[in-house]
Amino acid sequence: MVELEIEKLTLRFGGLTVLSGVSFAVEKAELFALIGPNGAGKTSVLNCVSGLYPGEGTIRFRGQNISGLSAHNVARLGIARTFQHGELFPHMTVAENLLTGRHARIRTNPLKEMFFSDSVRREEVAHREAVEKIIDFVELERYRNTQVANLPFGTQKIVGFARALAMEPAILLLDEPSAGLNRDEREDLARFILRIKHELGIAMIWIEHDMQMVADLADRLHVLEYGRSVTDGPPQQVLKDPRVIAAYLGSSGGS
Amino acid sequence: MSSREPRASGYFRSSYAQGLRLLETRTQWTALVLFLTALGIFPFTATSFQLDLACQVFLAAIGAIALMLLTGYAGQVSLGHAGLIAAGAFTAGILFKEFGAKFWITIPAAAVVGALIGLIFGLPSLRLRGLYLAVSTLALHFIVVYLGGEYETKRGFSTGILIDAPRVGDFIIRDRKIWYFVLLSFAAAALLISLNLLRSRTGRAWAAIRSHETIAEALGIGVPAHKLLAFVISSSMTAVAGALFGYYRGFVSVEAFSLFLSIQYVAMIIIGGMGSLLGAILGAVFVTLLPYVIEYAVAQLPNARSYAGMLAAFNYAAFGVVMILFLIFEPQGLVGIWRRVQNYFLLWPFKQKPLGGGRK
Repeated sequence: MVELEIEKLTLRFGGLTVLSGVSFAVEKAELFALIGPNGAGKTSVLNCVSGLYPGEGTIRFRGQNISGLSAHNVARLGIARTFQHGELFPHMTVAENLLTGRHARIRTNPLKEMFFSDSVRREEVAHREAVEKIIDFVELERYRNTQVANLPFGTQKIVGFARALAMEPAILLLDEPSAGLNRDEREDLARFILRIKHELGIAMIWIEHDMQMVADLADRLHVLEYGRSVTDGPPQQVLKDPRVIAAYLGSSGGS
Repeated sequence: MSSREPRASGYFRSSYAQGLRLLETRTQWTALVLFLTALGIFPFTATSFQLDLACQVFLAAIGAIALMLLTGYAGQVSLGHAGLIAAGAFTAGILFKEFGAKFWITIPAAAVVGALIGLIFGLPSLRLRGLYLAVSTLALHFIVVYLGGEYETKRGFSTGILIDAPRVGDFIIRDRKIWYFVLLSFAAAALLISLNLLRSRTGRAWAAIRSHETIAEALGIGVPAHKLLAFVISSSMTAVAGALFGYYRGFVSVEAFSLFLSIQYVAMIIIGGMGSLLGAILGAVFVTLLPYVIEYAVAQLPNARSYAGMLAAFNYAAFGVVMILFLIFEPQGLVGIWRRVQNYFLLWPFKQKPLGGGRK
């Protein structure tokens, strides 16, 4: 079942063409890695999907055209994302950050909230429980009531990851989740990603620079260079592709 | 919001509902009861002048809490606060003068007028940020004050509108002691409503918008709607404070709503401590009492009479100096000082908080 389908995605900023004609499709429970050298346009693809950049072309989520939708409506449909630097709310605790991630799922209105009526209390408790499940999932129990600003960077990235997961998405867009993590944290992250794939069946578009991790985990790779799709396929095949090697290392002029 | 500081021993929750309570421990309940008792006894021991000060503090506290929601939590700067207070006062004044409307009509009417003005003057916030937004809210101030002035002159109340003491049934609120309790209840209601909003979905959305709009948007938060909501709720509360101010004074006139009043409210939330309701209240107390303290201090000087004419200048200058001192030495405001003192006693005989945050 195709979850997300991108067709001829093009993005221009004035005279600068950032993406031109990028197309791919991601299936349910697929771990889809998006790789390419710096500046290839990987994050721009995610920004287009999540509605932060206005791209041309069509983006379909479960058959529904979502190009042109505003970012919060895309999120409400079930497309969640993480950001390169975590981009958390530093003054909130871990649990509050995750609760904020559940914003679109919480059904209370400001009038009832003013009086904190029983229905608001029940709703808050229910969502606090849901948050606790996510905290369990990513093993952040000891930090649940710690302000995010006081956490080490690696843990903050996991919180960002958990916040996206708290949205209960159908598709998870991961923007370099492993950048800045040490070896232990990377292993944890790999474990979480595999559990999400196998236990929750969420499709993931995963931007990653750690080729070893990509080769080990990803189901399929899509390579971008200068905003164009270079190739697409299973990791072993793609990583041996001379065009991909050339994109990363540059081709030697003579041979 | 409950304090995040660690306790010396343990406090353990057994349900998530427990974590949502505003007051969790017996100590907190005892403190509240003691505080309320003190507030209840105060009017019976205070002089008429002290009662007036307390009433002014309550009025200022409602305005400061409302501005704190908007600026300290939702991150939207506003310099139109005096305009909103004026709008509330004039709504009450005009409804009373033209239609003889009762207290229980004019107060909700002021809330509605405030909400509408908030909706209109919140619109620029969808495009503007920071200083630019602040300047756009200035327009609100001038428009309201202009319209108020026009009404006064056209209807021949050029010195101001006189409002009778509010009457609820056969009961007339005229005595200062009664006013004290009325204003105290309104301030308490404003505080409770704000606390409730901040511990639920709306409050979290505001905090998210303040720290990162794009991220908030990507999490499914409707940023424009929540910004407008912040303006609507804050303006509505402020206008109610304005209407109460009009009734309390028994008199509404544009002179009372200068731009300096807006600056004073901004000062309250900065001096009190951004992002804290307790800060808004402490700031309201501080800024309301400061001129009286200065007046008292000047009166103690030798040759006090010769300085009397300069009192206003002293006030403005002291105000500026205090703001600068706070910004440099205590950016967290009065609430920062309060927390440090609290920590000192909670942690004694230790000095440092445990690493890793401790309890919520």
